[in-house]
Amino acid sequence: MSPYLAVGALIFISSLMFILPLVPSLVELRSKSDALPLNVVQQNAGEIRHFADSFRSYIRALEPTMRHCSVSGSMARDILPDGEECVVLGAVDETMVFSLQQQDSAYAVVIAAVIDLIVPAGVTFSKDIYARGQFKGGENNNYRAILGEKDVHLGPSSHVIRWVHAVGKFTADLGCRLHGRISSDSLIRLQADCSFLRLNAPRIEIGRATENGAAPSPNSSLRGSRRPRRFWYDGDFEVKAGQVIPSDIVVRGNLRIRSGARICGSVKSANNIVLEDAVLVEGSLISARKMRIGHRCAVHGPVVAERELALATGVRCGTFEHPTTVSAPSIEVSEDVVVFGTLWARERGQVVTNL
Amino acid sequence: MIYVLNIIVFAICVYTARHYWFTLNRLFGFQRHPYIDIDTADWPPVTVLVAAHNEEKVIANILEALMTVRYPADKILVIPVNDRSTDRTREIIDTFVENFPGRIRPFHRIGGKAGKAAALKDAMELVDTEVILIFDADYIPGAGLIKQLVAPFFDLEVGGVMGRVVPLNAGTNLLTRLLDLERAGGYQVDQQARMNLRLVPQHGGTVAGVRLSALREIGGWNENSLAEDTDLTYRLLLNGWKTVYQNRSECYEEVPEVWSVRVKQIMRWAKGHNQAMMTYGFRLLVGKHRATIRERIDGTLLLGVYAMAPITLVGWALALGVFYQGVAPLHGVIALLSLTAYAALGNLAAFFEIAAAARLDGTRKRISLLPFLILGFAVSIFSVSRAAVSQVTDLLTGAEFHWDKTERFRKVS
Repeated sequence: MSPYLAVGALIFISSLMFILPLVPSLVELRSKSDALPLNVVQQNAGEIRHFADSFRSYIRALEPTMRHCSVSGSMARDILPDGEECVVLGAVDETMVFSLQQQDSAYAVVIAAVIDLIVPAGVTFSKDIYARGQFKGGENNNYRAILGEKDVHLGPSSHVIRWVHAVGKFTADLGCRLHGRISSDSLIRLQADCSFLRLNAPRIEIGRATENGAAPSPNSSLRGSRRPRRFWYDGDFEVKAGQVIPSDIVVRGNLRIRSGARICGSVKSANNIVLEDAVLVEGSLISARKMRIGHRCAVHGPVVAERELALATGVRCGTFEHPTTVSAPSIEVSEDVVVFGTLWARERGQVVTNL
Repeated sequence: MIYVLNIIVFAICVYTARHYWFTLNRLFGFQRHPYIDIDTADWPPVTVLVAAHNEEKVIANILEALMTVRYPADKILVIPVNDRSTDRTREIIDTFVENFPGRIRPFHRIGGKAGKAAALKDAMELVDTEVILIFDADYIPGAGLIKQLVAPFFDLEVGGVMGRVVPLNAGTNLLTRLLDLERAGGYQVDQQARMNLRLVPQHGGTVAGVRLSALREIGGWNENSLAEDTDLTYRLLLNGWKTVYQNRSECYEEVPEVWSVRVKQIMRWAKGHNQAMMTYGFRLLVGKHRATIRERIDGTLLLGVYAMAPITLVGWALALGVFYQGVAPLHGVIALLSLTAYAALGNLAAFFEIAAAARLDGTRKRISLLPFLILGFAVSIFSVSRAAVSQVTDLLTGAEFHWDKTERFRKVS
C-alpha cells in the first residue's frame, strides 16, 4: 500500500471515529426534536381538586342531554367531545341495573347521573362517574373516579383507583381502599380498616368522632406577629408531664413530650418524636424520622414526619378556622381522630382499630 | 512535582466519587420531599422581593405571574427592587402598582453600592414579614410556587429554601441546550441528592426564600459578597440554620443565549464562590458551630468546586511535565486524571449526573447532545480559571470588582 494512501486512510478513519459519536448529537441539534423547555406544572401544582375541576369542564358538553334527561326522566347515550361514549341517567334504567347486578360485571362507559344514583354491589366502573344527585355505592365496587355534586358514599370494601370529589360529604364504609385523591367541600369520614393516600376536606373524621374527652384546644394563638424564642437542644430531650414551654423547641436527638404538656410554639426533632397523652402543640410539629401522637393530643400547625406517623384516638390536628396538613410517607391513624384540612400519606395510609 | 500531581488527582477523585454518590442516591436512594405535601395551612404573611436592574424586557411577566399566584392575597406583598434602572423598568412597575393597589410596594433605588446583595439590603427596610421570597426579574413563578416555597418555613430549623430552576429558552441554540442539560444535572441530581443526604443544598438567591429572623441573626445581606446566595448559604449553616431544596418547586428562567454572556456569568459565580471559600471554608470545616460532620465535609467540597478548575489545569500541566520528564511510570495516575477531570467541577454537573437527570425528567432525545457538553466544559474550565487568576490579581492590585448584569434575551412585553 502506498504510504500516502495509508496516511490518508488513517486520517479518514480517525476522523470518522471522532465524528461518529457526534452524529446523533448533530441530528438532534438540527432537528430539535426534544428542545422544548421541561414541562413545569404552572397552574395546578398541588391542587387536589384539579382532576375534579377538569372533569366538570369536560362533562359540561353533556349539559343539553343532561337537561333533557332530567326533564323527561329518561336515559340517553351520548358522545363526549373526545369520542368517549357516555350514558346519561335521568331515571334508573332497569336494563342497566340488571346488567350491573351481574356478578363481577364491568361498566366501561362514562356515567353522568342527574338523579340520585344508587349502584349495586360488585361492579367495576372503569370510566369516570358524574353524579349530580346523591351517590351511594354498593359493596365491593371498583371505581376509577367519581365527581359528586352532593354526598358520595362508598359501600364496604370498595376501591377507588384515581380520585373522588364530593361537594357534599364523602363517606367510606369498612375496608375501602382509596388509592388516589379524595376531597370534599364539607366532610370526609372513613370507617375502620380503610386505606388512603391523600384526603382533603374542611373536616376529616376517622371513625365516629366523639366530643367527649376531646383534645385540649389552645387558648392563645401564636400565629400573630409575635414569634417565640427558639430553644435548642443537641441530644435527646424530654418535656416533663404538665410542663408549659413558652418557646419553640429544636432537638437534634429524640424528643418525648410527657402527658399534659403544652408547647406554646412549634416543635422540630432531627430524630423521632413521641407525644404522650393530651399534649398540646400550638405551632407545627416536624420530625425527621418517626412520630407518634398519643391519645387526645392537639396540634395546631402542620404535622410532618419524614418516615412514619401514628395518630392515636382522640387526636385533633388543626381547627375548622385554621386548617392544616398532616403528612408522612406512612400513616396509621386510629378511630376518633379529626384532621381539619389535609391528611396525606405519600405511600400508605391505614385506619387501624387502636394504637 | 509528582507529589503535587498525586494530591491533585486525589482531590479530583474525591469529587468524582461524590458525584457518583449523588447520582446513585438520586436513582436508588430514599428521596426527601418532606414539605411538598403541606398544601393546607394557616399561611404566614410573605414578602416577595423581585430583584430588577434594567429589566424592561421581563419585569412585566413576573409581576403578572405574581398577581395570579394561589396564596391569600392579604398575606402576600410584592416588592420590586428596582435597582438604579435606566430603562423603562420603573415605569412598568409603577403601572402595576396602579393596577393592583395595595399588593405591590415598589422600591426604586437610585443610588448606592452596585450589586444584588446591596439592593436587597436596602430593600429590607420595607420588609416586616418572617418569610421572604426572592426572585430575579427573568423568572416566571407558577400558581402554586409561593405556597411550596413558604411551606418549609414551618420547620424551625429551616433558614433558607431553594426551588428548582428550569430554562424557558432551552431550545434556542446549542448554548441554551447545553445549559438546559447542565441545570437539569445540577438541580435534579446534585441539589436533590444533597437534600436527600442531609448535606448542604445551596441557596440560589432566586426561586428561593429566607427567614427574616435567620437573616437578622446572621447580619443581613452581605453587600460585599460577589455571590450573595453562596454567602447566605454558609452564614446560615454556620449559625445553625438549614437550607432546604424543593425539587418540585419549579420555576422558569432565561439562560444566556450567547457565549460571551455565559462566560461573564460563570466568572461572576466563580469569583463569588471562591470569595465564600476563602471567608468560610476553614471555619466551616474545623470551627465550633452546629453543622454536622457530613455538612462540614460536603460544605467544604461545595465551596471548592470552582477552585477545582484551575487546579485541574495545573494537574494537566503537571501530568504533561512528568510524562515528558519520564520521572516515573505514572500512566495510571494520568489516566485517572483524564477520566475524572470532568467530574471535578461540581456545579457544572458531570456527564453521568446529566444522563441520570434526563432519565428522571423523562426527557430522552436531548441526552444525545451529551458529547457537546465537552464544549461547555472547555469554556467553563478556562473561564473559571481566568476568574480565579483575575481574583488573585485584583487582590494584589486592589482593583474593585465590576458587577456584570446578565443580559436578557426575551422580547419586550
